[in-house]
Amino acid sequence: MTVAGGTRTRVEQPGTVAEAADLLRGSSGPLLFRGAGTKRAWAGRPAEPALVVDTARLSGVLAYHPADMTVAVGAGMPLADLQALLAEEGQWLALDPGTEEAGATVGGLLATGDSGPRRLRYGALRDLVIGVTLVLPDGTVARGGGRVIKNVAGYDLPKLLYGSLGTLGLVAEVVLRLHPRPGASATATVRVPVDRAAELARRLRASPLEPAAVDWADLDGGLLAARFEGTAAGVEGRREAALALLADGAPAAWRTGDGEQAVWRRLAEPHRPDGEATLAAAGTRPGRTSEVARALAASGDDAGVRTGLASRPALGLHTARFTGPPAAVAAAVTAWRARVLALGGTVLLRERPPAVDAELDPLGPPPSSVGLLRALRRRLDPQARCAPGRLGSWLDPAPREDGPRS
Amino acid sequence: MTTYAGEYLDLLPEPPAGRVTAAFRADVARAVGPGGLITEPAQLRTYECDGLTGYRVTPALVVLPATTEEVAAVVRLCARDGVPFVARGAGTGLSGGALPVADGIVIGLARMRAVLSVDVDDQRAVVQPGVTNAGISAAVAPHDLYFAPDPSSQVVCTIGGNVAENSGGAHCLKYGFTTNHVLALTFVTADGDVVQLGGDAPDPVGPDLRAVVLGSEGTLGVVTEITVRLLRRPEAVRTLVADFADAEDAGNAVSDIVAAGIVPAAVEMLDELAIDACERAVQAGYTPGCPAALVVELDGVAAEVEDEFERVQEICRRNRTTHVRIAADPEERARVWKGRKAAFAAMGRISPDYFVQDGVIPRTRLGSTLTRIRQMSEQAGLRVANVFHAGDGNLHPLVLYDGAVPGEAERAEHLATAIVELCVEQGGSITGEHGVGSDKACSMPKMFGPDDLTVMARVRAAFDPQGICNPGKVLPTPRLCGERPGPHRPHPLEAAGVIERL
Repeated sequence: MTVAGGTRTRVEQPGTVAEAADLLRGSSGPLLFRGAGTKRAWAGRPAEPALVVDTARLSGVLAYHPADMTVAVGAGMPLADLQALLAEEGQWLALDPGTEEAGATVGGLLATGDSGPRRLRYGALRDLVIGVTLVLPDGTVARGGGRVIKNVAGYDLPKLLYGSLGTLGLVAEVVLRLHPRPGASATATVRVPVDRAAELARRLRASPLEPAAVDWADLDGGLLAARFEGTAAGVEGRREAALALLADGAPAAWRTGDGEQAVWRRLAEPHRPDGEATLAAAGTRPGRTSEVARALAASGDDAGVRTGLASRPALGLHTARFTGPPAAVAAAVTAWRARVLALGGTVLLRERPPAVDAELDPLGPPPSSVGLLRALRRRLDPQARCAPGRLGSWLDPAPREDGPRS
Repeated sequence: MTTYAGEYLDLLPEPPAGRVTAAFRADVARAVGPGGLITEPAQLRTYECDGLTGYRVTPALVVLPATTEEVAAVVRLCARDGVPFVARGAGTGLSGGALPVADGIVIGLARMRAVLSVDVDDQRAVVQPGVTNAGISAAVAPHDLYFAPDPSSQVVCTIGGNVAENSGGAHCLKYGFTTNHVLALTFVTADGDVVQLGGDAPDPVGPDLRAVVLGSEGTLGVVTEITVRLLRRPEAVRTLVADFADAEDAGNAVSDIVAAGIVPAAVEMLDELAIDACERAVQAGYTPGCPAALVVELDGVAAEVEDEFERVQEICRRNRTTHVRIAADPEERARVWKGRKAAFAAMGRISPDYFVQDGVIPRTRLGSTLTRIRQMSEQAGLRVANVFHAGDGNLHPLVLYDGAVPGEAERAEHLATAIVELCVEQGGSITGEHGVGSDKACSMPKMFGPDDLTVMARVRAAFDPQGICNPGKVLPTPRLCGERPGPHRPHPLEAAGVIERL
């Protein structure tokens, strides 16, 4: 099926893996694989593609075995639809990314490595994926992993694709491990600045309270929330200790039901794009949270840019926002990235106004493993057709004379 | 019928032509310094196999480097001369993953056994590959931390080997495998460069190379430092052993536990033969003559564990358990686990020889698969003991035989292979935790089609274009398995109706 696209871009929605393979085998020029399209600018804006392979019709449930707690789906399955289906059996894919409401798909989430607050307890999609069907640009269809949760046969292609940003091939099908939906949940909140939040997160980690999520954002001077899940008795049994641990000068509140949901909706907001701000995500040791915040404030002040921060201080994941003139934003992002890298962390550039791109290297210096990344790209996508420009300077260091790029 | 594609064969060169020459020996000796070289034939023979003792090859040379730089220097020499190398930890692997290559060298990592740093606040440790699995947990125990993967060989097996095999253990049902607990690797590439895979951050930017090295069985390079994630010890742990009159009741109990939304830390099943062997070996207090015993362990916050432990007991009663033994204290729990973890070695008490098999089925096929295994065992005239991780469908059938009886070893090997192929037919895997190694490379086409294997070969070639890292493991070759990779069987996802084949 062909969908109207731009003048130079063909958009196709294959309905089966075989159709996708035929399509890729018969194509030439730059490719772009698209799910819901919620993260198209991450880690570098790709060149205008000759062909967009949209996974909207690769979105069925291929097999669901509730008693085995596994499900196989087409990559284009929206996470929200999958969760609704699994909820009927009292199960869920233990993943709660902020882009779920925007229609994010399972395949897109795997390829971008996106996650949400409850990664703390359940891990990322990297930890939940058990099988994958990959279609390479030459039309080769490869399956990796399997359908059972325990399996070490062959290379772990499913996890290799985690965070690959569509640079190695099309994720066409995904097999996932599921969890029972917790019977009860409650969230303790306290208003604290980031330094205290980082310290409280450390104490929570050191305690036996097993929080499912610990999030902080610079809302109203700083809001820290710690979520507890499990049986009703298990959640209630932690109430007193959790409130005592968190009530650190400021009073802590215990929220359930609508009040709890409202807290998590608020905390998800600063991780989402708003069309104006430039977003960048950092990963560090959890104990570096305060330094990440200080580095952000300094970088913003130096460049004359407004900044904001939302952190998962028990995980060491941080989303920074920059608002201001494009050149100043680019300077602030560059400075913050340099400081985070110096702390041993990573920075992934996310959404931003196009004007910022002119002034900003989207990637920064490559990791020491860049030679292996390039070798892998050459073996799986020898003509560098998959999203050229994304991870650009790392994957494709020099323009290729024989390549499709102009 | 399919044959190997030309591309596949091109990607997997036969073992490189390089040889261990006098000049190579001298250069390696300089690279590792005194004490780092084994050349005496009698000593070399101690490296001729790993836990899979049926396959033996004496290496030309064994090198015992003491640092990452020494490993890199040795690998650079191998790359220069095209000499194949096999990295080795404690040699406890059960799939021949550390089987040496004739005319190649073994890089033993036993001298690199330092815990380099422990970060209590950030709950991680940096260790060298020769540190034992249990040694990591012991080093961090004073801080109420531990390393979650717990293969049965954990007292001797090394973290380097765990990384190579992506080791699991009894508790991986709840906590996952080695790959879920490794944050970063210092990695010596096949040409001797030293790079970092992963890092301080939860994820690298870009494809997760750390994840593809984990479980790659030494075929992509050598890991010389590992940053492991540590977990806070749970507040409460409760363990019980429930006896059942037959395996079906036990299997139904497991299904009911899962259906109740309980994720136990571990669920293990032992059959009568396994119980008999374990009791003779370590007297762990299992009931002799009991047809099937379940070990169920729950851990987590106290209020929740108590709640769910009651429900598990109720589920066992509902499924006609004949006896429930609750571990009264940590010592008794340790005894229960000692029995379970001694199971493989204990087979020596009831049989002169045995093959340890490792296969996975969807958990819900447990009952039918056990029935089939029993029938196959009767047809072959050989006893099969079953010990397995019932929560995730990881079976460990132990095929008992007497090597002194002519032909019995061959029949036993045939039965062991047939059992693992049965697992694939059920939609499972040829290996859940022991790895492919030398043992199952030729079974890979039972589970993966030619294109699947070709893409894996492309990944291998990206890391190791010369094919010098542990050649002959994981991926089948005509030299190992014959010209044809065997009749192509549908991928398990196809057989199960999950996916369609082109």
